[in-house]
Formats: sequence, structure tokens, C-alpha cells
Amino acid sequence: MKVELTINRRKGIFEVEPNELLINLLREKIRLTGTKYGCGIGMCGACTVLLDGEPVLACLTLAVDADGGEVETIEGVAREGKLDDLQEAFLEEGAVQCGYCTPGFIMTAKALLNENPSPSEDEIRGYLKGNYCRCTGYVNIIKAVQRAAEKRKRIGKQEI
Amino acid sequence: MEYANILQDLLKRDEYLIVGKKVARTDALDKVLGRALFTADYVPKGTMVVKVVRSLQPHALIRKIDYKEALKIPGVIRVITASDIPGENQIGYALPDQPFLNDAKVHYVGDPLALVCASDEYSASEAVDAIKVEYNALPSHLTVDSALASDAIPIHDGGNIAVKTRIRKGDVAKGFKESTVEVEETYETPYQEHMYLETEAAYAIPEGSDKVTVIGTMQSPFLVREKVAKILGWSLSQVRIIQALTGGAFGKKDDMGPLVCAEAALAAVLVGKPAARIYDRDESVAYTPKRFPARFRYRSGADSEGKLKAIEVEITLECGAYANRSPFWLWRQTAHAAGPYYVPNAAIDGKAVYTNKVYGGSFRGFGDLAMQFAAESQMDRLAEKINIDPIEFRLKNILKTGLTTTCDQLLDHSVGIEECLRRVAEASNWSKYVPCKEGSRVRGLGVGCAYHGISTSRGTPDWSACSLILNQDGTFTYRTGICELGQGSPIGHAKIVSEIVGAPLDFIHVELPDTSSTPDAKPTHGSRGLMLGGTAAADAALKLRDNMLKVAAEMLECREDEVELKGGEAFERGTPSNKISFSELAEELYARGISPASYGFYASPKRYFDPETGLGVNYSVYTFAASVAEVEVDLETGETTVLKVWPAMDVGKAIDPLMIEGQIEGAVSQGIGFALMENLILEDGVVLNPFFKDYIIPSALDTPEIAKPILVEKPYKHSAFGAKGVGEPAIISIVPAIVNAIHNATGIRFNTLPITAERLYDAIRRSRQ
Repeated sequence: MKVELTINRRKGIFEVEPNELLINLLREKIRLTGTKYGCGIGMCGACTVLLDGEPVLACLTLAVDADGGEVETIEGVAREGKLDDLQEAFLEEGAVQCGYCTPGFIMTAKALLNENPSPSEDEIRGYLKGNYCRCTGYVNIIKAVQRAAEKRKRIGKQEI
Repeated sequence: MEYANILQDLLKRDEYLIVGKKVARTDALDKVLGRALFTADYVPKGTMVVKVVRSLQPHALIRKIDYKEALKIPGVIRVITASDIPGENQIGYALPDQPFLNDAKVHYVGDPLALVCASDEYSASEAVDAIKVEYNALPSHLTVDSALASDAIPIHDGGNIAVKTRIRKGDVAKGFKESTVEVEETYETPYQEHMYLETEAAYAIPEGSDKVTVIGTMQSPFLVREKVAKILGWSLSQVRIIQALTGGAFGKKDDMGPLVCAEAALAAVLVGKPAARIYDRDESVAYTPKRFPARFRYRSGADSEGKLKAIEVEITLECGAYANRSPFWLWRQTAHAAGPYYVPNAAIDGKAVYTNKVYGGSFRGFGDLAMQFAAESQMDRLAEKINIDPIEFRLKNILKTGLTTTCDQLLDHSVGIEECLRRVAEASNWSKYVPCKEGSRVRGLGVGCAYHGISTSRGTPDWSACSLILNQDGTFTYRTGICELGQGSPIGHAKIVSEIVGAPLDFIHVELPDTSSTPDAKPTHGSRGLMLGGTAAADAALKLRDNMLKVAAEMLECREDEVELKGGEAFERGTPSNKISFSELAEELYARGISPASYGFYASPKRYFDPETGLGVNYSVYTFAASVAEVEVDLETGETTVLKVWPAMDVGKAIDPLMIEGQIEGAVSQGIGFALMENLILEDGVVLNPFFKDYIIPSALDTPEIAKPILVEKPYKHSAFGAKGVGEPAIISIVPAIVNAIHNATGIRFNTLPITAERLYDAIRRSRQ
């Protein structure tokens, strides 16, 4: 079967099996290996990508169900060689340890800030609850999301 | 040389350039960009898949493994059993009790029997199901008591006790006679699953007819090489092991690295094709090592002044199917049984017992975590009996410079536990705290202390090595066998090198460990990565610095002791404009034939130890930690919420405070998991909850407020800048702090973990009856 997908702002037509998962299309066929496989049954959040701006679990999403959609993976978050505010904040706050859960967290956090540019700490915790991290205890991840939100607000104000 | 004083004695600087400062981790950039490569990311599409056929019986003799039907499945390439192994079929870590593939007997549900090699996942899974194993079932031992019964059939030759330990210090009978209060209790701690986000993985590529390269998840590349070579019957030089970035490890990947890499390597070599072996989540949870369960009978006595007089501890450790690391784990528990307190009289006995369940293995805290839960519960109970504040009681007995440990090791420096304890008491406003009640919710405060020996145990020599090359452009290539697992040890090494050679951090490139080019640093475990490995890094940097200074002095036409190395330049201290760049300096070193490379080596100071009494200089040094926790318990539901934790640690010297804070925060979360939530359920030896949905670990909703960690710095004189290991000590004091806080809030004391809402609810109901 053929599907037409825009992946990280580039349109392409891909030959897929009817039962092929989006994670396998991304990781194996397109070699975008930043999206991580943690459990295969949608319980850990490591494979989170954005589909038309919404966070989805690539290990539970069929490639055919994404047909015609826009997929954004961790590889598409930095633009023109410049880090996204979230990526920068993850570096600055020490929110990265082993880094295996990091892509999923950044994608989920990106969706959160798109929906809600100034989330409270409780809202951040609630939104990230489906992404597991075993290294950081989440403290610096939450701080990083707060920092990115604050930075965006600041820059936004300057632009006005 | 005392490496703690490099700054003043050798670098002649008043302050650090980079050590002790927060920096963004140099490896984090690729991780936020999605470019960091973990093992599975190296595997090309279409690579041969390897899966393991496992026992469905807890204890049985193997009559036959029939794989004829499996070979008929399209896509199936080969099935490998024990008789195909060209080398030795033995992978036991401490004792030779663990076959790589079983052909005589199975010892737990999940014991490996065969490897299936297939062109894809589906055919491999189908083949695993198609393999028929015939057994003669044996009675199984699913508890330590069953395995210890006088008529128990042995799980391994030699009986069901794998190993015993003992310590005898002073005169315990006299100590209890001098005691006015005594407490005797039995504590039990469960399995804990590591639940790192990346499961075990390896990718093996055969080269020619007699070489193999394996890229994999691991903590000890050289141990992996040794085991893979042994199974293949090859020399060490025929096997090349590369550690890929590893997505969390916490100890288990030290146990699983050799196994997963050997599974891939054996398949690749026998079939003659690259092979990928990646564990499924449920396979990782159900069949691979966990934190060892343990039982402690603990008797302690103190006099009317509140001085500890004696302890008597009996440890029963459950190995599960194989001894694996149990001799070392049990020893750690035996050695740390008293907690960070001075006790003049101690009798400690331990035994590790086989059962027919998933076996135990390395996990952050390595025995000491469970031990301190028992020891610190005893301390609170004694304080209550004497009617003295728990912190005051601890302070009366706390280890100080000049006192001895349970093993009679004299602590002559680097003992910061008293300061840790006083400062968490102050930060948490301990003395003013009143447990409060609001509706059905009660709150309480608890304290926990911990210490953890950093080095190999029992005086066994410990050492580490590395290499450092100054490249012609002035950058550096640093190689260490210490693995990056998330904890950031290699970046700590890079900071140490950066400080000593005066190069910016981004001048120092840390290579992934590769056994064909990296010096053996010994394993990345036991919180030794930074302390041992980092001191080897300091040694390499000091040697290279000598050569750099010598040539720079001649180029700058000044005395060697007038040369400063800083910011990637060499300059004359009094005349900074007289300078050369590191690239100019490097070229000159090469041109003159003065070595631009060095090999760093560090061996810990000699220790002595008496195995009969368990006394001697057991560990090089100890890291100390104390925590206070505030909890809220809902009496209607039994649910516990940890509200806030105040952590403190004596780290010797903080090489990177941000990374230490990260270790402590992660440890708080794992500690909460162990104390309150994580509960592996087994029925007839079968793990019933091998997924994230039913083996519940803390989420972003479960992390409490964590006060800024208090870092006490009592340098260890024999390590680079005085640093001590932090990864394991971070978790140990958290658990007793939570348990003691629950008691403070509810009056209920738990001797068994985890304190789930269900257990607490039942206990509350019972206490009201």
C-alpha cells in the first residue's frame, strides 16, 4: 500500500504493509531512529511523535492511519540548525541523563506548549504522566518545560 | 601522590576552572536532537533476528528439546542449543552454576534453552512457540524456607545455600548485657525491577572466519569480552566489544551485557551473518535479574545514655535460580549492617539461598538499600524506646573521624555524615515539626541515614585505566572503559581532564568504550566510575600536562613553573600576551617526538582484610548521605504521598553539582518506587506483571518537591580532587526516611516493603480494631 506523508516538513510517498506501524516506517525505512521503542504497547511514551500537531504513540499507530498527515519527529524539532526552546531548556536544566526517553518527552512537551503556552506545574506533570523516565525523577524535565514556556512568553512579548 | 590536592600542589591555581561548576553535558546535544545512537539504532533493516527459547517450568530435568518443526517455518535459519556451543557453556558470575543454554535441567521459569535465528521477528516468534521441550518435573522451591528445609532437594550441586558471610567484632553477649533497651524485629524486602527505558540489546557482526564485533548495552565491556570469548572458545583478541550509548542500566546491564552480547555473537558466528538480539519488555521484566529479595532478623541494644552497644543480624538473601552477584551483594549487606554508626560489638551472619525463581542481580544500592531500611527502622525503634528524638539518638552514635566501622575499619578522614544529618535536620526544621491531621489526612516527618563503601569489597585491589591523546589541532581524544549509562561519569572524567590540561570542555572528545582500543577501566558499577575512573583520567592528564609544559616553556622561553595552561592556550603567567595555542603546542610535541599521548592508571591504596572475622580495611572510602522526608497518608484510602524530601550527601568534592542533583532526584523517584509502589507479583514462579501498566513505577505525578540537595564536601585524599561516588548512595537514605515518616504520621511501622495503599489501608483498619 502507498501512503503519502509529510515527515518533518518533507512530503513523501511510502510503500507500507497494511499492518506496518508508524514506528517501523520511521525507524527502519526512513532511518529516523530518534523515535525510541520502549515497550511496543503504548505504555511508556518513548515513541511519541506529533501527527498533525497531536501527540501519538508511534508503536500503536498504523502507518496507513497517518496517510495524508503531517508527522513531526524529534529530528524535525530543530529548525535550520537552531535548537527549539525546549531542546535548549532540556540542555540547560540537566533534563537529559541516559537520553532514551528524551525524544518522547520533548515531543509530548511540544504538544503541551502548543495547546497551553503557560501551563502550571501541575498541568505539566499531568500532561507528561504517560512518559516514563527512570533516570531523572522528572524534576529537571518539569523545570525545562517551565523554562521553555517562560522563554517563549518573554520573546513573544518582545516581538509585540 | 594525594590526588585530592592537585589544584593547589600541581596546578598552582586558587580556584577551579571547570570542576565544581555546572555545565551542559556534552553528550546531551545529540540526545535532544534525536541523533544519539543506541544499540538498536545501529541495526540495519533485514538483519537476522535472534530470540531465546525459555523454560516454562520452575524446576525440571530436560528430557528433550525438539525443534524439527521450528526449522520448517519459512524464515527460520537455525536453532542453537547447548551442544552447538564451541567454547564453554558456563556464564555464572561468581560461581559456576549458570549454563548459558541449559541442556540438563531448568532452574526457573525463563531459563534459556535455545536460540532461534530467523530472518524476521514474526518467524522467530513462531519458531520459539513451535519448539517442544519435554521435562521431568521436580518439586520446586518458591520460598527460601522451602529451599532451606532439611529434606529440600538441591537446586544446584552442593545444596541450596550458595554462600555464607560473617562478621565478629567485640563481644556481643557483653554488649547486650550493658544495654538497657533492646529491639528485635524481622524485616523483608522484595524484588525490584530496573525498568530502564531501553531493554537489553546487542548487534553482532562476524568478521572473516575468526573475529566478531558486538555493539551492545552493557556496563563492563571487558567482562562482556571475556564471557563472549569463553562461549565461542576464542581468545580475547578475536572479540571486539563496543558499548553503545546505553538507555539506563542501574546495575542490571552489568549482569545482562555479557548475556545479550553472547546471544547475538554466538548466533552471528555460527550462522555467519550479522545478528540482532533485542529483548522484549515483558521478557526483560519476567526473566532477567532483579533486586535480590532479602530477610533480616535484626536485634540491637543501647544503654540508658543512648549509646548503641550491640547488634546481632541474620541476613537471608534470596538468590533465585543462580548465585549471580549474591556473594558480593550479601557481603555488602553484612559489612553495612550497622548503618553509619559506631557499634562496639557486632555479630552478623548472612546466607544466600537458591530458589526456583527469577534470579537476583546488581541494582543501585547493591544490598545496602534494603539493609539500611532495616538498620534505620531499628534506630527509630530504639529512639522511641529510650524516648529520645530520632536525630538526637543518631547523632550520639554517628560515625566520625577516629571511629571504626562494623568491620573495625578506622575512618581517618572524609567522614561527613554528621554534617549531612545536622544540615537536613536544620533545612527541614525538624525540631519544630509537629505531625498534623487535616480531615482524613495525616502528615509526618522521617529521617534516614546511609553510607556506602566506594571500591571493591574486602580489600580486593581496585584499579582503573584510560588513555588521552593530544591531537595535532589541539583537541584531545579521551578513552575510558567507564560507560555512559545516563549518569555522566565519562563527562566527569572530561571535566577532570579539562581542568588539568587547561582545555575547554569541548576540546575533549570522549570515545565510546571499544575493547580493541580502550584501556580496561574495570566495570561501571559500585559508584566507582567517577572516583576510580576519574582518578585514572587525572593521572593521564597530569602525565600529558608534564610534556605540554616542558615544550611550552621552551617555546615561550620561560621556566616551566611559569607556564599556565588555560582556555586551550599555553602562556607565561606573568606575561599572558606571551602565548601559544594548543594546536601550535601539539605540532611541536609531534615534531620533537615528545609523546602527545598518555596512559592513565590508578590503583586504590592497599588494604588488608581478614575473611575469618570479616574485619579489616573493607572499602577505600565511604560516601555518606542523610535525608528527611515528609509524607501525607490518607487514612481513608491508605494512600501515601511523599510531599517533600530534603537530601544531603558527603560527596568528597562535587565535580558537577548539576549532575549530582540529577542523581539524587532520580534516586528519590526510584526510592519512592521501592518503598511504596513497585511490586513484582509471582505465582508458581511466573511473573504476572511484566509491563509498565501493571508493574507501576513512579511517573511525573509521583515526584515530590525536592529541596536543593545539600552537598557536603569532605575530600577523599586519594581520588581526583577528592571526589567520591554518588550514584548508589543517593538512593539508600530515601527509603528509610519515607518509612519512618509514615510511622511518624500514622503510628504504624512496616517491616515489609512496599508499603502499598492496600497494605497501609489494612494496617490502619487493624490498628483501629
